[in-house]
Amino acid sequence: MRRRRASRHRRAWRRKTLLGLLVAVGFALSGAAGAVAYFLPAITTAIRDTGHTIQRGAATPAASASALPGEAAAAAPDPSVGSQPFTVLLLGSDNDAKFSGSEVLTQSMILTRVDPRTRHVVMLSIPRDLYVPLSSGGSDKIDKAYLHGGANAAVATVERNFHVHIDHYAWIGLLGLVNLIDKIGGVDVVATNPVLDDFYPADLSGQNPYAFQRVAVLPGPQHMNGIEALEYVRSRHGDLRSDFGRSQRQQQVLLAIRTKAKLLGLADLPDVASAMSNDFSTDMSISQVAALLPLAGTITLQNVQQVLLLPPDVSSAFVGSQDVLMPNWELILAEVRKHFPVA
Amino acid sequence: MRRLLAVVVLLALMGAFAFGVNRFLASRRSHIPSESTISAPTETRTAVTLPGTMFISQHGDIYALAGGYFSDLRLARSGTWMQPSVIPGSDAILAVLRTDAFSDVYMIDAGGGAVHKLSHNATPGKVIQLNHWMFWPRVGADAQTVYMSYDSPKTQESYQIDFAVWQGTLAGKLAVHQVTDPFGYTGGDVDAVPLAGGGILYSKYQISSGQVYSRLAVQKDALAEPVYLTTATDDCGQPALSPDGASLAMVCTGGTGLQSTRLEVASLSGTTLGKPRTLINNCLCAAPAWAPDGSGLAYYAPADAGGHFQLWWIAGAAGATPHAAQEVTS
Repeated sequence: MRRRRASRHRRAWRRKTLLGLLVAVGFALSGAAGAVAYFLPAITTAIRDTGHTIQRGAATPAASASALPGEAAAAAPDPSVGSQPFTVLLLGSDNDAKFSGSEVLTQSMILTRVDPRTRHVVMLSIPRDLYVPLSSGGSDKIDKAYLHGGANAAVATVERNFHVHIDHYAWIGLLGLVNLIDKIGGVDVVATNPVLDDFYPADLSGQNPYAFQRVAVLPGPQHMNGIEALEYVRSRHGDLRSDFGRSQRQQQVLLAIRTKAKLLGLADLPDVASAMSNDFSTDMSISQVAALLPLAGTITLQNVQQVLLLPPDVSSAFVGSQDVLMPNWELILAEVRKHFPVA
Repeated sequence: MRRLLAVVVLLALMGAFAFGVNRFLASRRSHIPSESTISAPTETRTAVTLPGTMFISQHGDIYALAGGYFSDLRLARSGTWMQPSVIPGSDAILAVLRTDAFSDVYMIDAGGGAVHKLSHNATPGKVIQLNHWMFWPRVGADAQTVYMSYDSPKTQESYQIDFAVWQGTLAGKLAVHQVTDPFGYTGGDVDAVPLAGGGILYSKYQISSGQVYSRLAVQKDALAEPVYLTTATDDCGQPALSPDGASLAMVCTGGTGLQSTRLEVASLSGTTLGKPRTLINNCLCAAPAWAPDGSGLAYYAPADAGGHFQLWWIAGAAGATPHAAQEVTS
């Protein structure tokens, strides 16, 4: 009798425990569901826009050592975002209504080396008009590498010409940049000079993508929203330095974004992901991107070195029907070796 | 029945918990101020009472600051109102109304609010390159001579568009004589300050060895060679001359990697600039302006990395021992 009562008591206790466990699991799952719902935009973006693989060699059928200057690309170190220095090719495209799908040029190419141990960053702007052998075959302006073979070709072309190994790439479109800057509350920038342009492309309004608009960014420290920052980094007609001036301004705004990004936390990821939706892609995984966030916050401005390729590194020329910049590889590669040492 | 009720209550609690987790995460977002969260200056009283009346622009409106309180000039909004400047010996001010394709200079009665358009820079046609910009209007001590930066001459066929300083009169036409000859494709000449003895002090942009920089220059006669006060490596602009004309405040970016500025003050005698003193280093300082009695210097700068530009004040900025900067608005 006592044994039966004890057995019933044990069963009841087990049932209660099981029930308690089920309730606890239920709450844990509902909490997780709440978190997943919150992070859904970030998760969707992470799945769609991150983790793309660079197919080395796959998009380079015509590439050959003889077609390219100097020796072969540097040996590849482990491309992890850990304590080892790594190289990222930052790409920016005019993906407006003039272009269809991914058939876009890269108006901005910034080769960036990050050393997590020394917290040192080098940003080298590659002129978009640089006339180089493309990894997809033939020679053309370097901004066409992406047009002919996407990120793979852009990475391969830079690797082969500049003799560097690129661990990762990150690509952003016009609206992605505008939305990102708006989402972080704008950026504070010291405009270098009056940036005036009467032939600035009015291609984001959705009407005539070949129309012009007037732009006047006044000089000095100021707060810029996404559209104003885009006008500042994109305009080039009124600048004696043309693309060189634009490259300098692009690096400036990138650093201003970094300053604002330091204020962001994990809970901001969904907003940022939504802002850049469809206008961003990278081969970095979401965990690698997450690992970069705290690193970005620890890098001081004094440790960021900005490099531009100016004459005599390049010289103007006319090839076919287009103005191009011819590289002086001896000078350029010396500069590259200085800032992008082989691991 | 009791079990069913218990299950329903539990499910409801779990739903509430999921919602709570979701909202908790949302509450952990960074509170970076956005354009929509900026309050009008009229909603607050300043922390410091500045001498005289100061005119400022924020978010396309112009406000007068006097006795620690802001008042909205309530100008009709068909663009962005900006760059207010006082007309000496008058209650009126000049200001710029900027739209997407052009900007015009207006004279505004700061007391009554009457507005007079002084320029007509819009083109009636569809060729947008025929529109013009006019910025930084300033009136000389005679309360008649006006200087401003004007994007002329230019043609609709050329990419070249630079600001030159032009001169005119309040009573007549604004842009009558071209005063400065800008370096091409640099952005040009901006921020002209009329000098008491005639001529102007302004910021002249130049590009050399792939670098763009500004030098402060003094020019007595139209299209004459300017006398430079600062060097290319200083990269100084935004000049503000004290009421007695003896102290020059300026914003310099030389050596900052173009990511910050220095607010500097130097003595000025004719075309001789004294050794500059740095009032604020490593800041995003902008648009310095002296008090009418010369007792201090106001300027804009963000309070922190995530903040918007606020008004700051340095008492005794012209003296050897200026006070620490005080935040006027927050």
